[in-house]
Amino acid sequence: MTRRAIESDVCIIGSGISAAMIADRLARTTSASIVVVEAGDETVPLTARAAARDRTLRYGENPWGKDHLDGYEIEGPLQSRSMQVGGLAMHWGGVTPRFSPEDFKQRSLFGVGTDWPISYEDLDPFYQEAEEIMGVSGEQGPPDLDPRSKRFPMPPIPLTYNLELLKAWAAKAGIAMWSQPSAKNSTPYRGRAQCCRNDTCSPICPIGAKYSPDFTWSALRRSNSVRLIPRTLVRRLVLATSAKQISHAVAVDRDRPNDPVEFHAKQFVVTAGYTWSSHLLLLSAQDGAPTGVANSSGVVGKYLTGHRNVQGYVELPLRLYPGMNEQHSLVTKQFMRIKSGSRYIRHDLRVWESSVGKTPRLIDTAGSLMLGDAILDDWRERTRTGTARVRAYYDVIPDRSSELTLDVSKKNAWGDPLPKLAFRDAPESVELRGPTEDSIKALFDDMARAGGGKVLRTSVDNFQDHPAGGCRMGNDPATSVVDAWGRTHDHANLFVAGAPTSVSGSCANATLTFCALALRSAHEIERGLPKRGAR
Amino acid sequence: MPTLSRRGFLASLAAAVPLAVVVRRAHAAAAQHLESDDATLIALAEVVLPSKALGKAGVASAANAFRDWGAGYHEGAELVHGYGTSTLRSTGPTPLTRWTKQLDDLDAAAQTAHGKRFRDVSAADRTTLVRAALQGQRVDRMPSVVDASHVALAMLAHFYESSAAADLCYEARIGKNQCRPLSASKAKPLPLLKLSER
Repeated sequence: MTRRAIESDVCIIGSGISAAMIADRLARTTSASIVVVEAGDETVPLTARAAARDRTLRYGENPWGKDHLDGYEIEGPLQSRSMQVGGLAMHWGGVTPRFSPEDFKQRSLFGVGTDWPISYEDLDPFYQEAEEIMGVSGEQGPPDLDPRSKRFPMPPIPLTYNLELLKAWAAKAGIAMWSQPSAKNSTPYRGRAQCCRNDTCSPICPIGAKYSPDFTWSALRRSNSVRLIPRTLVRRLVLATSAKQISHAVAVDRDRPNDPVEFHAKQFVVTAGYTWSSHLLLLSAQDGAPTGVANSSGVVGKYLTGHRNVQGYVELPLRLYPGMNEQHSLVTKQFMRIKSGSRYIRHDLRVWESSVGKTPRLIDTAGSLMLGDAILDDWRERTRTGTARVRAYYDVIPDRSSELTLDVSKKNAWGDPLPKLAFRDAPESVELRGPTEDSIKALFDDMARAGGGKVLRTSVDNFQDHPAGGCRMGNDPATSVVDAWGRTHDHANLFVAGAPTSVSGSCANATLTFCALALRSAHEIERGLPKRGAR
Repeated sequence: MPTLSRRGFLASLAAAVPLAVVVRRAHAAAAQHLESDDATLIALAEVVLPSKALGKAGVASAANAFRDWGAGYHEGAELVHGYGTSTLRSTGPTPLTRWTKQLDDLDAAAQTAHGKRFRDVSAADRTTLVRAALQGQRVDRMPSVVDASHVALAMLAHFYESSAAADLCYEARIGKNQCRPLSASKAKPLPLLKLSER
């Protein structure tokens, strides 16, 4: 057995989108040596993605190769099994709304949930920085609903013919909608191609028009700005004698499992998402941190958050042409702002083209099997009218018992307990759930009526999308894991960044917010590092 | 040397070699048979696909695309990860062996009813044979290609999930899932070319 020690100024654990933001920032502004440790494999290179996408379209195959660790079947709603260089954002949809100002003040404004220790205004410059790193195409919404201090880096993804019709329909229902901001290039951007509507953004963009973290890693590795070590799973963070500092991280090299690896650094940054960040801290229980590293509050793994959605399909007397750009949508923040004194019912709203209810069928209305041209004729007849997909994410206020715990009954190949996930609403959120879902369904009905159409069906997804939390930020060390910058209250040289630090999940896609939070952490981390050019 | 039927060939393979190898060889053999006997597949396509709208060349092209799909199928390949679960799923057994047997069955039924191979009987008789074969099959919705219980349904599923089928339905050049200029998305899709112009 050979023990290896790898030293750096900064050790980043995880290589997902938040890690990429931090590494990008630190490489631009400091001369620090940066090591990034990733448990998963290298990702599929851009040059191989067109062929991979082809097999996904034809056979439904995973285009990302073997992007998971074996034996990680865990209990609870894991967002995804993916674990690879670039993380889950290798297959994200690239949808990048910002949270709203009121998301950060739920308790002060509405008497529910918990206020964040930062405001929207605090985060605004970091939203902008993330949008510029990724390349976000966006349309400015009404400034009072959609405030921003600078323009989007790129013009919006144009609305398709279909979306223009659906925008006019929404307007009839009194809803002003605009082009969904997206990390997809409406123009060529920083060496990456313009979007050409391949329409498989999730799970895979074959041309690199959608941002994914591998682009940042490739650039940083080319310039020798970071050392990224894949296939290496960090298993423990070890405290220094004082317990106020992290001494090193202990990892297993999946190719040389009998030779432990230690990572020694001045700063440690855990950016392993909402599951694996809390998991690592809990696994790191030791003398001086008996319930886990950074866990003197007992809050590590608690307050897992996200948002549920109500979705519907509305048949409309509109001739739509599904397939023009099916993953792009309209959005409004109109329902994210509630009137003072009214009940806390809050959601976003998006509208897409859809083919639901308009797909070809085998039996006619009389129940007879059709063959030959009859199927096409029937399909043509039924597509004289169109379908819109409507969906609203709504706020879920997390309970303390919405949590990640260690599952001693299930262990990975190295003997470490796997995590167990359970999402639970706070009592006030339980009370709001029924009225919220009813209100959204009523809105869909109103919209259908305004367009002379009908709701075909609605459904509620119990899964909380864009999961986050587990290491929530706050000013009080007794009730939070990290401070407003992502630094753990317990250990001066340990940061947790991105999704895990979220206090609440808002009612909109959250990845951009995770990135902004990570960049805000990076600004704090860089204060303790040599400035670029100083060495 | 007597000609071995598809079924007979597969049975002889099964008796001789381990299961995994049998599966791989059976898939390859079935693909080979489809490749070498495209007339039967095209004869089926002519009666299940929209042959008036597609034209002779379009039907043959759709049948060949279906055959190629089958040949390119990989068993045990990891499927796209679902969200909200840690469960992984993989592709199932090759459908090709099932399809080739069902094509054999259509041939046998044609021989019994008309004394000819399936590909040699009239379109009306082929339609009757296909309808008979689909008796009792689940047809309440268009299946996925791989899950289709019969080769005729698989062929329909394969065609109707294509970009070409959507264009044919809407009689417009939508080009679903194809690389298209972003700026062109603002306009109504151009009309589809007439069959004679395609």
